[in-house]
Amino acid sequence: MNLVVNGEAYVAKQPESVAALLEEMGIGGRPVVVVLNDEVVPPSSRIACRLREGDCVELFRLVGGG
Amino acid sequence: MERQGKVQDAWIVGGHTFSSRLLMGTGKYQDAETMVGAVLASGAQIVTVALRRMGRIPQEDDMLGPLGEMKGITLMPNTSGARNATEAIRAARLGRELCGSPFVKVEIHPNPHHLMPDPIETFEAAKVLAAEGFVVMPYMPADPVLAKRLEDVGCASLMPLGSAIGSGHGLATAEMLRLILRHARIPVIVDAGLRSPSEAAAALEMGCDAVLVNSAVAASGDPIAMAAAFAQAVGAGRVAHRAGLMPRGGGTALATSPLTAFLSVEDA
Repeated sequence: MNLVVNGEAYVAKQPESVAALLEEMGIGGRPVVVVLNDEVVPPSSRIACRLREGDCVELFRLVGGG
Repeated sequence: MERQGKVQDAWIVGGHTFSSRLLMGTGKYQDAETMVGAVLASGAQIVTVALRRMGRIPQEDDMLGPLGEMKGITLMPNTSGARNATEAIRAARLGRELCGSPFVKVEIHPNPHHLMPDPIETFEAAKVLAAEGFVVMPYMPADPVLAKRLEDVGCASLMPLGSAIGSGHGLATAEMLRLILRHARIPVIVDAGLRSPSEAAAALEMGCDAVLVNSAVAASGDPIAMAAAFAQAVGAGRVAHRAGLMPRGGGTALATSPLTAFLSVEDA
């Protein structure tokens, strides 16, 4: 399935859900915010939230800052 | 008589009570261990973090993992990287998702050369976010007119700059800060530009409620020791403010000892 992840083309192997995508990317247990087509997907909805061809996924995390 | 160590001197921002008047940033540290050590040494209860899109290759060093688990620390995501109000509002909402904290440092500086905050975009973002229930802490120019406007739209504090971010030029805006302090009814926190603990003490002496430092600690020779030094300076400045400084002399000296010759009779 072809997705756009953080602005770049991404071919997902196990794309059935947002949770599966995070696992595939190796960031399953990490604190991230997932934005799917401009809507935040809360952690409790990640397993149920299905992905579709062409979906736009953005992933954010906290970094050091002043 | 109240002993110094027992002075109850909490301050309240957005309905939340804090005892530490030193806020810490988490940028520019060499490693997570130093950053966490500095935060602990500072005694800070409000700690700023930034939000960024993740790289495609997950990075293992999760610098902020330990902070999130520390008791008594409120994470305050900033909106750095936002060039206008729309981007800052989006960053604030995402930051709230990650931190679970209503605090947000609204920070909009479109020009990477001087990093001066955009007063118009900052005002617009603050207005929207305050209405949404955020505890809005705007990084702002040291402008008393803007300060009043930000207070009127529901900001929880004012965070005027002492000088440019990371410049270490100290309290270059001191006179404007005094004007802000004269009229502010919400906490005033000097954010940006401080270099030395004595400048932090000076900010508290003049009546600022707190200071926020990052580079001054992170870029010092020994960040953990410097964090402790800032904590002491902030404490000293606050106690001095409460005590009230002596009046300035009118250009002449005033002796502290009797001016009679020491061989004269006392009370002569």
